[in-house]
Amino acid sequence: MNGTTMTRGYVIIWAWLLLLMTLSLFASTLPVSRAAIVTLMFVVAAVKAVLVALHFMHLKLEQWLIYAIAILPVLLVLGLMVALFPDFVLAR
Amino acid sequence: MTTMAHAPTHLSEAASRSKVAIWWFLASEIMLFGGLIASFVISRLGGGAQVDHSQLNVLVAAVNTFILLSSSYTMVEAFACAARGDRRGMRMFLAFTVLGGLAFLGIKAYEYTGEILHGFTPWAGTFWSFYYTMTGLHALHVAIGVIANAALCVGARLGTERPYRVEVAGLYWHFVDIVWIFLFPLVYLS
Repeated sequence: MNGTTMTRGYVIIWAWLLLLMTLSLFASTLPVSRAAIVTLMFVVAAVKAVLVALHFMHLKLEQWLIYAIAILPVLLVLGLMVALFPDFVLAR
Repeated sequence: MTTMAHAPTHLSEAASRSKVAIWWFLASEIMLFGGLIASFVISRLGGGAQVDHSQLNVLVAAVNTFILLSSSYTMVEAFACAARGDRRGMRMFLAFTVLGGLAFLGIKAYEYTGEILHGFTPWAGTFWSFYYTMTGLHALHVAIGVIANAALCVGARLGTERPYRVEVAGLYWHFVDIVWIFLFPLVYLS
């Protein structure tokens, strides 16, 4: 992978990140339900985070150990949310 | 990374160890911010921590998002330059990253000042407690990143830099960017 190719790739990812940020801003004005807007925003945020992790943090070039270290805490956080959900939301 | 294959063995080993170490550290950071964000989301879904979004300065936060996303780009370019042995380019992109971080912190301080002057202090309600905890902790991480990147910039000037150090600092900086990617829609837009 030579320097020029890397730079062009990074610029493209940066442009995508800015485009997705703009999409998030306009999503809040869409004439749809609040739940749909919030879902869309978080999907966009997740896509941006994956773009940064894979391309800027070079996760796509890493071995399984680094993937495991990165993904395990994310799963634990999601587990925390799922575990708390019935007590704080469904019990309302 | 590709460059490390050409580095002397002790540097290559240091690079590998540093990378695993920083990922372990980032894993603990994911738990820290993830716990906070999960608590905030659950609290909001449960009917607490509500806010009138007109009390928040969304435009200023959007500008800050643009700055942080752009500084993530300059950081990865700094590493690309370091990997190529382009010391001048590395210094320049690190300096842009530091400036981006400082701009972010300055704008955040401006935002905090306006909110506090309007009475929205950390003890003004559940939302504001979460708001100052999450964004304040994030700002602290940005400040640490600025110091690390500035030290690397000085190191590049003195000729003591190593590409793997820029990579490690970059991993931290991109993580700080990812945290803001979630905080921005969560706090300001939803």
